[in-house]
Amino acid sequence: MFQNLEVLRQAQAMASHAGARQSFIARNIANADTPGYRPTDIAAFAESYRNAGSDAGLRQTRPTHQMSGDEKSALTAAMTRPVPGAASPNGNGVSIEAEMMKSADVKHQHDMALSIYQNALGILRTSLGRPR
Amino acid sequence: MSELTNTLALSASGMQAQAARLRHVSENIANTDTPGYHRKMVSFEDVIEAGRRTGEVRTGPVTLDQSTLPRIFDPSHPLADESGHYDGSNVDLVVEIADAREAQRSYEANLRMFDQAKQMQAALIELLRR
Repeated sequence: MFQNLEVLRQAQAMASHAGARQSFIARNIANADTPGYRPTDIAAFAESYRNAGSDAGLRQTRPTHQMSGDEKSALTAAMTRPVPGAASPNGNGVSIEAEMMKSADVKHQHDMALSIYQNALGILRTSLGRPR
Repeated sequence: MSELTNTLALSASGMQAQAARLRHVSENIANTDTPGYHRKMVSFEDVIEAGRRTGEVRTGPVTLDQSTLPRIFDPSHPLADESGHYDGSNVDLVVEIADAREAQRSYEANLRMFDQAKQMQAALIELLRR
């Protein structure tokens, strides 16, 4: 555990995925009445975490590697996908109910990631002999 | 962290747009009985900054509903012509109230997203407090 704190890394990835997805949901809901707007979403955490090394193209393998803003947004663009569903007469495809469901999911995922992180830190502290 | 801040800005733009829409609806309702009043309509559009969509939303230009005004028969009205008719307004109260309800519903949805992003941010900061 101490050589490579995979738990902390995974919890951090999970929380930041929840943050990114929440941003997409907020965008869809803000545009719920914009004519011609098609909602977008990103892949679920399990899928994007599994594929993180294979299809992303660029990967940070050393801490000195830095991604420019453009590369980062290109990666995000590669992860986005349109949400299937019928469009209303003005061409808008947002379903507020579906977005609410997704946001409840995101909240749950974020809470879970944070508690895992906190617990892992607690274990570390205990192993160092300090009170939590 | 920046994603969540971005979320707050997105939801705030949505709330602002819905509030502007509600204001036009209330203008229409206030002018239901104004002779010759054309109903105001407002649409939403994406905010584009430096050639890219930011994902935020704003209200587009206001357009007037150009459907024909109803002719109302009232010879005692100051604006009545020789035949005793004058132009009413083309505001339909049922449509306006339905529009107001929709704006309220969307506003609430945006508010919930704002609230949730704030809670997530607070939980993240809570990690640092120990």
